[in-house]
Amino acid sequence: MSVNLQVNIGGLVMKNPVTVGSGTFGYGQEYNNYFDVSQLGAITVKSLSLKPRAGNPPPRLVETPAGMLNAIGLQNVGIDAYLSEKLPWLRKHGCTIIANIYGHTPDEYGQLAERLEREGGADAIEANLSCPNVHNARDAGGCKLVAQSPERVAEYTRIVKSATKLPVFVKLSPNVMDITQPALAAEEAGADAISLINTLIGMGINPETRRSILSNMVGGLSGPAIRPVAVKMVWEAASVVKIPIIGMGGICTAGDAMQFILAGARAVAVGCASFRQPDTALQVVNGLEDYCKRHGVVDINELVGGVLTR
Amino acid sequence: MPHVVDCKITAHQEAGRGHYRMALRAPKIAAEASPGQFCMIEVRPGYHPFLRRPMSIERIFADGISLLYKVEGEGTRLLSTVAVGQSVSVQGPLGKPFPINPAWERPILVAGGIGVAPFPGLAEAIISKTGRAPEVVIAARNDSLILCEKDFKRMGCRVTLATDDGSAGRKGFASEALADLEPGPGAVVYACGPLAMMYAVHEVCVARGVTCYASLEAFMACGDGVCMGCVIEANVEIEAERMVRVCADGPVFDTTIIDWTAQRARTGGRS
Repeated sequence: MSVNLQVNIGGLVMKNPVTVGSGTFGYGQEYNNYFDVSQLGAITVKSLSLKPRAGNPPPRLVETPAGMLNAIGLQNVGIDAYLSEKLPWLRKHGCTIIANIYGHTPDEYGQLAERLEREGGADAIEANLSCPNVHNARDAGGCKLVAQSPERVAEYTRIVKSATKLPVFVKLSPNVMDITQPALAAEEAGADAISLINTLIGMGINPETRRSILSNMVGGLSGPAIRPVAVKMVWEAASVVKIPIIGMGGICTAGDAMQFILAGARAVAVGCASFRQPDTALQVVNGLEDYCKRHGVVDINELVGGVLTR
Repeated sequence: MPHVVDCKITAHQEAGRGHYRMALRAPKIAAEASPGQFCMIEVRPGYHPFLRRPMSIERIFADGISLLYKVEGEGTRLLSTVAVGQSVSVQGPLGKPFPINPAWERPILVAGGIGVAPFPGLAEAIISKTGRAPEVVIAARNDSLILCEKDFKRMGCRVTLATDDGSAGRKGFASEALADLEPGPGAVVYACGPLAMMYAVHEVCVARGVTCYASLEAFMACGDGVCMGCVIEANVEIEAERMVRVCADGPVFDTTIIDWTAQRARTGGRS
């Protein structure tokens, strides 16, 4: 029995529904030592900014129960070095590329999207409106993150959409009172898909030194610890938007990925699980195919949003 | 190229109070490993601990490697309970090795505490590549925490000990023991240990015009240059290169590239 794993995410055709979380997979090449990364549905690259960024001072990362807390601060090579040094490898190896972008202003997001399209640097754009570790943007409508203000989400989405014809995904934050509001704002402003969830903001304190464990004081929590929150948010968002959702948050196995798909995600991203097992995303691809065979499903799209109500 | 392999534990015993030596059957990793590189060890399957633990490769054999580690927290405590015959998942070899150059006439290894871990393999490689046995300084809090002394002596290395309480060798710090050896032209120093110790060793080397390579330790998630969690500040003006990754750009660095002011500010001058 052959199974169709191909999905269409707002115009981006992925040969299977599995990508990786931005910042957990470098620019693809790093993990090709362990498996052929072009087998993934897409590779979402580390956030790109107009200028290189050094990121936050260390310590930046700490392990937590079933997860980790990080405050990297979007250290990245910048768009120029990405296009000249990272992109050729990705293209040569036939990878489908989702470029995650981060700017200080809406205009910078527009410039990044326009440039990526012009130079063939991406097959889709993911606008990161939800990094908890950078002091974002000129303002975020009275909020800490752009993704916490539905009005700002709409504004940023419109600017990126007007700058490119590539599919535009908007990555939202779980640190909100009601995820349906920014999700609807993104959809109404023309987003082709939404990515859910970025990390949950957290904090750790060393009781001996009485200092925050992270130099940034707070950081983003990821890993299996946050998965139930992520699944629930995908389920809520899927109940109100028609555009596809890329679900993520603590996925370590195909079973985890299936939770997101059944909750309403059309694609999934493996995040920090790659740090502990570099080929996790490929195992998820293979596991999804096995799941479909085991359940007599010929097309994975049939399962999207298929959670049964009790 | 690094691999992820399930490796059978062929030996595992206490090597000093709170320290363990683990030998692993790992021919693929051994074939590609060099001294100074490290592995990421999954201490047990499951989600707690969630991340692998970075560990220096102590020695490299034809069919495997050994690790020398100190029980510091929950992860290493759990690892210390895994029995011979069982397997652990090992990712490696990772990172950049110690440079070795036959033109460097007087190699000196300076270890503080568990920082001795990568040096038995380095000493063996220096001997086989240059025909010269390096001098070794081993420093620790007290005599029960001096590791590998016999191993180095067996290789023909001249070993100098230093302890905080004078219970073995000279009473004092590794850097003082190094200064006593009067390293000068032709010497190269390899250092591994607490940050304050490596800084003091670096200072001795700078004062004497001697090149020093330090192997750094950092908490890291991936070990492979991806997560950007293990960075330290370097003496580089270029913004994109100012934060260097201990895992992929190191763990071995020429100590003149390290921004010691930033390191010391963070530790309040302590290790």
